[in-house]
Amino acid sequence: MTAETHAAIQVPRRPRRRRSEIWTDLVLLAPGCGFLLVAMAVPVVQLLLASIGLFGLGGRSRLTLDNYAQVFGDSLLRGGFFFSLRIALATMVVSVVVATLLTALLQIDFPGRRLVSVLYKIPLVVPSLVAAFLVLTMIGPGGMAARLLAPWQVQWPSFVHDPSGVGVVIVLLWHNIPVTVLIVSAVAAAIPRDLVDAARNLGASPWRVFRHVIGPLCAPGISAAALLVFIDAFGTYAIPSLIGPAYPRAISVMMTTEFLQHANWGLASALGVILIATTTALLVLYYRLLTRLREQAAA
Amino acid sequence: MNTFWFIRSARLRWLLAGIVIGGALIVFVLPIAVAVLWSLVDPEVGWFPPDVLPSSLSLANWRALLSVPELADAFVTSFAIAVLVTLLCAALGLPTGFAIGRRQLKLRRLLELLVLTPLMLPSVVLATGLGSVFIRLGLAQTIPGVVLAQTVVVLPYMIRIVAATLGGVPQDVIDAARNLGAAPLALTRHILVPMIAPGLFAGALLAFIGSLEEFILTFVVGMPTIQTLPILLWAYLGGRSSYLTYAAVVSLTLLVPTLIMLFVVERVLKQEYLAAGFGKA
Repeated sequence: MTAETHAAIQVPRRPRRRRSEIWTDLVLLAPGCGFLLVAMAVPVVQLLLASIGLFGLGGRSRLTLDNYAQVFGDSLLRGGFFFSLRIALATMVVSVVVATLLTALLQIDFPGRRLVSVLYKIPLVVPSLVAAFLVLTMIGPGGMAARLLAPWQVQWPSFVHDPSGVGVVIVLLWHNIPVTVLIVSAVAAAIPRDLVDAARNLGASPWRVFRHVIGPLCAPGISAAALLVFIDAFGTYAIPSLIGPAYPRAISVMMTTEFLQHANWGLASALGVILIATTTALLVLYYRLLTRLREQAAA
Repeated sequence: MNTFWFIRSARLRWLLAGIVIGGALIVFVLPIAVAVLWSLVDPEVGWFPPDVLPSSLSLANWRALLSVPELADAFVTSFAIAVLVTLLCAALGLPTGFAIGRRQLKLRRLLELLVLTPLMLPSVVLATGLGSVFIRLGLAQTIPGVVLAQTVVVLPYMIRIVAATLGGVPQDVIDAARNLGAAPLALTRHILVPMIAPGLFAGALLAFIGSLEEFILTFVVGMPTIQTLPILLWAYLGGRSSYLTYAAVVSLTLLVPTLIMLFVVERVLKQEYLAAGFGKA
């Protein structure tokens, strides 16, 4: 049943909605949407106000930009921001590249393909702290890799607390590549087989088919997956707090420390606002890019 | 797109299969096997490098889950909070899910966006914001505070599943039952409940698991009074390395409900009732 037939039946029967209907809607929506609205708006407004020095807990209330000045003036805090950015970018780029290759690999009909397509979904249901534990037992100090390499006198690099953040990125990748593969394969599966066959029939090489047919059709899905991975990696707390370096610390770790240990609400709020602002800016940028691409495709 | 055209040789396919399956086993299955080994390490003997396998196994760490006060308390707290969060999500999510799934709403797109926002917002920011609000309200470090905080990130899943489940019930089936003279009670009992029960069950299970695994909101709002299993796991992994065996036990405990869910979803959520509803069965 399509949406049009549905509408065609509904419209003549009910030209205008009665007021009581709207009240019913509101009463039904109030518990869920009302709760979410309050539970998100109040904390976010509180953060915004506290970050500019208003209505913080204790201390006096006065409009100031000191907290933001401190974030960008203090090299420790600034370094943390760029550390988070670097980790998120690295996770995003590697996730997308590896996931695209894996998706292509899973299109090949090799024996055991179904087994692999079940196995790769394991990380999807593993909580990130458990993922950190699992990866640590493999590559951490005294982990499986180090034990297996020991007889050959090979020194296994320490991925825990390394200043480059490689360990953090590895855990994030273990968690995020399967998510990306899932999204990219869903997008790839939606491409009609006929389209690829037609292009091949018309004499296009596999590479040209990929470049001009498969690639452009997959692009929106892949970029959405990339965005999701970036947002997850940029705001993650559990993983960098456990295996991240002592310096620089991820922005989420600094924020939580300022809040829980130093009770510096203003600074914690400013860091939070910067986190939200970066995420929101990316989302807006993504939607504008997508709209422009659609317009170009339509023109 | 089931086959690619450029791998024709059977030998090459087997080679590829070997590499890919081997890689998948090492990356996805071996870590879980190692975690199981860690949970079975005999605490009297230990498992030190360079031993690749522990020299003696015991169930002592699993018994500790119920006998060591710290672990047993976290175990009980985690499951109690998960039950409360599931109940609260059901109470809040059922009416809203019904409205989004079945009623004609003008602002449906906006409402769906609102429901998704808690999942897009960095949860550490949500945690800190809620934490500071809860300190003012006296909800910080209390079970109700943690339950409310977890509900914010779990409720979106519940609403979406309820909306999809209720929205998936064909109006024809309801109309047909009414035409054939079913009273509202009979309609609910014999038609609606069997159709939506699997979806609602999946939603409740997802809420339960979401609460059980939630870390950052519980950590910021509940610190240091409320200790759930993920918070213990965080403590065990951060520095207290002698507790790696307990970390393994907690990790595997957190995975069990998820595995049950995968099994249930696979079995129950086949959506056969929809096909039956259209008379195809």
